[in-house]
Amino acid sequence: MSFFINQLIIGIQLGSQYMMMALGLTLIFGILDISHFAHGHIYMVGAYLLYTFSVLAGINYWVALPICMIILALIGVLVERLVYRPLRGSPSINTFIAAIGLLLAIETLVRGIKKDAVRVPVPVDRSVSVLGMSLEVQRIIVILGALLILLMLQWFIKRTRLGIAIEAMAQDREGASLVGINVNRISALTFAIASALAGVAAVLMAPLGAITPEMGNPLILKAFVIVVIGGLGSMKGAIFGGYILGVIEALGVAYISSTYKDVFAFALLIVILAFRPTGLFGERAA
Amino acid sequence: MLELRDVRCSIGKHEVIHGVSLRVEEGELICLLGANGAGKSTLFRTISGVVRPRSGEIIFRGEPIHRLGPDRIVRLGISLCPEGRKLFPRLSVKKNLMMGAYTRYRNRVEVKMSFQEVFELFPILEERLDQDAGTMSGGEQQMLAIARALMARPKLLMLDEPSLGLAPLVVKRIMETIQEINRRGVTILLSEQNAAMALSISHRGYVMENGKIVLEGSSQELMDNEEVKRAYLGA
Repeated sequence: MSFFINQLIIGIQLGSQYMMMALGLTLIFGILDISHFAHGHIYMVGAYLLYTFSVLAGINYWVALPICMIILALIGVLVERLVYRPLRGSPSINTFIAAIGLLLAIETLVRGIKKDAVRVPVPVDRSVSVLGMSLEVQRIIVILGALLILLMLQWFIKRTRLGIAIEAMAQDREGASLVGINVNRISALTFAIASALAGVAAVLMAPLGAITPEMGNPLILKAFVIVVIGGLGSMKGAIFGGYILGVIEALGVAYISSTYKDVFAFALLIVILAFRPTGLFGERAA
Repeated sequence: MLELRDVRCSIGKHEVIHGVSLRVEEGELICLLGANGAGKSTLFRTISGVVRPRSGEIIFRGEPIHRLGPDRIVRLGISLCPEGRKLFPRLSVKKNLMMGAYTRYRNRVEVKMSFQEVFELFPILEERLDQDAGTMSGGEQQMLAIARALMARPKLLMLDEPSLGLAPLVVKRIMETIQEINRRGVTILLSEQNAAMALSISHRGYVMENGKIVLEGSSQELMDNEEVKRAYLGA
C-alpha cells in the first residue's frame, strides 16, 4: 500500500510537470491555432538557464527561478514575433515546418555551447518518509509549486481584463478585434505566459535529473498527447490530462515495466480518442 | 462624420467593392440596403479595419482611418456589431459586455454607467448576466451583440443585418431599440435585407448592388422609388 501511495505521489509530480507544459501548448493552440512543437525546447533552455545562474553564477535557486521565468517569457515573445507572426494566414504546414526548424535550431545551438549533460543540485537536499517510504522533498516542491502556479493562472484568465481577453480571442478572433482587443499584443502575451510556465516546470524539475539538449523531445510529445486527450484548446483538459498521464505513467512503470515508460501515454491517447474523438473536454475533433 | 471616397476592396484576387463613396452625418440613422452578396458586410468590415481597402479613403471626423487596425478604430469611436454576431460563446453575458468595454478600462465609473445604459435598453441581459452567451436564444444573442458594441461608447455604431434569422416580433423590438439608441445621440449605419423595416426607421439610405452604390436618397424617396419597390419591398 505504501509503495502504491509513493508511486502515486511520483505520478502526481510527473503530472505537475506535464500539466504546466500542456497548459502552455493548449493556450497557444487555442489562440493561434499553432502547434508549437518547439515548446519542449523552450523548457530545455529554461533548464540550462537555471544551470547557468545557479551553478555557474552561483545565484540562489529561488532567485534564479523568477529570472529564468522572465527570460523565457521574453524568448517566447521573440519566437511569436519572429517565427510565427510572419507566417500568419499561410497554410498550417508552413507553421508546422517553422516549428520543427525552430526546435532543431535551438537544440543545435545549445549542443554547440555545452555538449555534455549537466546537473543542478537540489535546493532542499532532504527526504521525508511517507508511510515508511522515503520521498525527496523536491518532488513535493514540484507538486505544490505547480499547484500555486495553476491557481495564479486560473485567477489571471478568469478574473483579469487581459486574461479574459485571451479567452475571448480563443473563442472568436474577429469578435475580439472588433471590441478593440489588439490581437497581436494578446498573442505575444500568450506566448510569454506559456513560456514562463515552461520555465517554472524546467526550474522545478531540473534538479531531479540530467539536463541535456535533447531533454525537450519526449516531453513535448507527451504534452501534445495531453493536449489532444484533454481536448484541443481546453485548459481544463490540459490540467486533468496532465495529472492522469503522470499517474498512469508512474503506476505503469511500477507495476508493469519501466521499459514501456513512454508507451503508456500513447496507449492512453488511442483508447481515449477511440471513445471521445474530441478529447475529454474538447469541442474540436483532433 | 464618416466619409468613404471611392473605396475598393478585394477578397483574395477578386475585387468585391468597386469604388464606393458615401457620407454619414452626425446624428443620422442611415440604412444600407442590398441583397445577399452585394458587399455590405465587406464594406462594414473595411470601415472597421478588419479588411484593408485596396484604394480609396475613409475619413472619420476629419481623420483618415483606412490604414488603422480594428483596435485603433474602436478607440476612435466606431463599433461594429457584425453579421453572425461574433460573440464569445463560452463567456458569460457579463464578460462579453466587459470585453465590449475593453478599450475603456481606465474609467470604471463610466463603464458602470454603460452597464446601466445597456440594461435599460435590454433588461433581459441583466437577468442573464451569468449565463454563457452561446446558450441564449438568437434574439437575446443579437441584443447582447448590440449591447457589447455599445459598451465601447461608439460615436458611430454600425449594425450588420441585426434582424437576420429572428422572429418578426423580436425584429420589431430590436428596430425600436436601434431607433432609441439613435435618439440618445449615437449615429447609426444599419445594413438590412428587411428593407421596409429599415426604411421605416432611418433618415436616409443607400442601395448597394454588386459592390457598388446604385441609388441613394431620403428614406421616403427610396420607399417611393419604383426600382426599390420592385426589388426590395416586394410590392
